[in-house]
Amino acid sequence: MMTLLPQFLLALFATLGFTIIFRVPVKKIPACIVVGAFGWITYLVSDHYLGSPVVGCFLAACIVGLFSFIAATIFKDATTIFEIPGILCLVPGSKIFYTMEALLNNDLTEMGTVGLQTLLMAGAIAMGLLVMGAVIGIFRSLMRMTVTLKEKF
Amino acid sequence: MEQKRRKDILILAIRAGKIMMKSGAEIYRVEDTIERICKACGIEYVNVFATPTGIFVSIDSYGSDDTVTYIKRIRSSATDLSKISKVNQFSREFTTTDMTVEEGMKLLDEIEAKRPYPFAVRLLGAGVVTSCFSVIFGGTVIEFGVAFAVGMLCYTLSRFLEKLEINFFIKGFVCTALASFCALLAAASIEGALYVPAITGCIMLFVPGVAITNSIRDFLSGDMLSGLARMTEAALIGVSLAAGAGVVIKLWTMMGGITL
Repeated sequence: MMTLLPQFLLALFATLGFTIIFRVPVKKIPACIVVGAFGWITYLVSDHYLGSPVVGCFLAACIVGLFSFIAATIFKDATTIFEIPGILCLVPGSKIFYTMEALLNNDLTEMGTVGLQTLLMAGAIAMGLLVMGAVIGIFRSLMRMTVTLKEKF
Repeated sequence: MEQKRRKDILILAIRAGKIMMKSGAEIYRVEDTIERICKACGIEYVNVFATPTGIFVSIDSYGSDDTVTYIKRIRSSATDLSKISKVNQFSREFTTTDMTVEEGMKLLDEIEAKRPYPFAVRLLGAGVVTSCFSVIFGGTVIEFGVAFAVGMLCYTLSRFLEKLEINFFIKGFVCTALASFCALLAAASIEGALYVPAITGCIMLFVPGVAITNSIRDFLSGDMLSGLARMTEAALIGVSLAAGAGVVIKLWTMMGGITL
């Protein structure tokens, strides 16, 4: 738990940096950085307990998608605004570097392993967002259906 | 409806769509905004087809002689989430209140001219991103400082290249090359400094998070073409970042610097 707190703070500040670069409106910055930090913590925890960064990325992307949707509903704004800074923390930037480093060392086995992991992590982020998007889409249509049914009866 | 008014409405809608697309909105939102604005002005038939590089709109209404079509090419783009938020609010306001087209145009002018954060603040933001990530990737206080300085330098360079309208591949390549060079220089001159956390921290500043997120949202709403285009963009950005860092590190080792 104690090691998670500094990581949480680091992710919080990193997302704060992203929100400034991508010019998120000031009022929405607090929600954005909370989304980003929780995404990163989800990644760390699931990576630690499940032993797979790919599954970690998937779950973290799901959490980011869900939290962004909640934030977007509260603030009545586009989901993208909360999602983009949150997702940026999860993108495997360091893995890109290690893939390239393995290539420079002429270590093709290592390069294949790390490179595949990078691709899978990016794919997992995409899958997480996709699954969450689909779930939210179904949830929304159900809500709309209940509203129209209520109006009818 | 007279031709002049229809043209004004079309220009207003296209303009709102253009601002959103340039700021990095997903296709669905752009198409939806344009359609809503046109419908709010009493145009019955609106068909929009948007891609990241262009928007096509056709409008038609009862009792008019001909269809009006407008093609808008979109070239450069820079992610600006506050503009997406602002145009979103604008379209909601425009469709629910009886705002005139001229007033709408004035509001869009204001939105387009807005510069939310001064450069110094954004520079600081870039520094915070790179330094935080360098610590996450195993750096210490030294790497924190190095990454902070290098991150700000790289961000300045990337802004400069964006001003010159250099394409994103070259931008990613040059920026990570500079980051790697500075990190290696710092590692060589400062006792006990590592170059890996500093470089990976700087790479995080340029990772294609926006492209990945948007491509998924496009796939979800059925815009396969844009989804594919943005997915390819994400892959290319990744390659450019790796190439930039790789070339510099290779040259550095060849000239007798560090060994990997």
